[in-house]
Amino acid sequence: MDQKLKILIVDDSELNREILTDILESQYDIIEAENGKMAVEILEKRLSEIVIVMLDLVMPEMDGIQVLTMMNEKGWINDVPVVMISSEASPSAMDKAYDLGITDYITRPFDTKTVQRRVMNTIALYSKQKKLIKIVAQQIYEREKINSMMINILSHIVEFRNGESGLHVIHIKTATSLLLSALSEKCPELKLDRDKINLISMASALHDIGKIVIPEHILNKPGRFTPEEFEIMKKHSAAGADILKEFNSNGNPLIEVAYEICRWHHERFDGRGYPDGLKGSEIPISAQVVAIADVYDALTSERCYKAAIPHEEALQMIADGKCGAFDPLLIDCLMSVADRLKEALSQNTISDTNWSSVQDMTEHILKNNDITISIPITR
Amino acid sequence: MTIRECYIAADGDFEDVLRRFMSEERVAKFAVKFLKDNSFSNLTEALAAGDLQEAFRAAHTLKGLCFNLGFNKLGELASALTEILRPLEPVDTSDLMNSITEAYCKIVDALNRFQC
Repeated sequence: MDQKLKILIVDDSELNREILTDILESQYDIIEAENGKMAVEILEKRLSEIVIVMLDLVMPEMDGIQVLTMMNEKGWINDVPVVMISSEASPSAMDKAYDLGITDYITRPFDTKTVQRRVMNTIALYSKQKKLIKIVAQQIYEREKINSMMINILSHIVEFRNGESGLHVIHIKTATSLLLSALSEKCPELKLDRDKINLISMASALHDIGKIVIPEHILNKPGRFTPEEFEIMKKHSAAGADILKEFNSNGNPLIEVAYEICRWHHERFDGRGYPDGLKGSEIPISAQVVAIADVYDALTSERCYKAAIPHEEALQMIADGKCGAFDPLLIDCLMSVADRLKEALSQNTISDTNWSSVQDMTEHILKNNDITISIPITR
Repeated sequence: MTIRECYIAADGDFEDVLRRFMSEERVAKFAVKFLKDNSFSNLTEALAAGDLQEAFRAAHTLKGLCFNLGFNKLGELASALTEILRPLEPVDTSDLMNSITEAYCKIVDALNRFQC
């Protein structure tokens, strides 16, 4: 082994620390803290190096319970296991410590072998769990990458047939994601977490798949549509939804959201959109957000029948209701992300599946499946 | 004087501490360090100053150390003191402190003789 693993021993009695050090130093590097406050300072700087914390309960400055509370607040308790060592054998103290996330409780007097074994086991378990989490995250990453690649291929086919470069889909995804982040901050009650935002953003790429049924000569007509042509063009939203309906046999959330977006991304807040003339909150939030993203990108992009409109002017047109009515709340969101939107769309690329969102997803999945707490505790 | 004889003189449980520490050398190494530990003096000073919080902590530490080192008699007494100090309310500790001091001195005396 190139370097020994590091253990943090927290105990106010020097002799106690010496005894523990003596038991463990042949296999581990020992870091000592003589009270809780010092322990927190050390964890603040060296959390990633430390593989286990041996924590005394009764100490001056900050006691063991206060250290644990702090470790919970900072989220450190998820990164490093804590074994409590104390002569305090009262059930209430133990209960409290276990509730605060300690892995093990060793009461004094302890014996050498027990301490060595428990420390070894705890470290092994934790490193195994960390390895597993990493593997799961890797798998999710691969899955997400393939998912978003397939969706991109599909939506690009539609785009290319439309004589567009495929940038529109990428722009819609970026704009949708930014708008939803702003919306989730303004309205926490909508419960738009990272997962939901990712899902809607991914589904937004499919908003125009229904255009596959529209004849090419109408799709690519330079100049204005005749009323008849417009009626045909309008069919794309319901057509896209119909295509997706075929797949929705098992309630897949991505397909469900994509369905809403396809069908209703041309509805307007005042009921004057199509195909169903839905009004206000009758229109799913996913479709409302994609609608405003779609309008913004259509305005600011060059098309075969029009030149690109500058960013500020496009915002003003949307705010003035020139492109149909939107929920004022969403217009607020658009304004609040306007600068970031302009910046993001000018880069013309999007990092499809970034590692931090994968880690979030992994955490979420593990939490929902209760893998992290494998022993059910009943009281 | 052997370390075993020292423990008998100090009312300690040598077999227990030997089982836990796994060698006479380690028992001896840490037993003599008890002489330099200041939990007992912290305890008497805190009680004299009326600092109940500090007295509780010192008693608690003394209890843990004694049990770990196999000085069980002093450990039991320190444990009893810990419990009457736990509510952090003024309480008469004089009788208990006399017994604790006596047990402590007996250990110190035995350890000093062992070291000679």
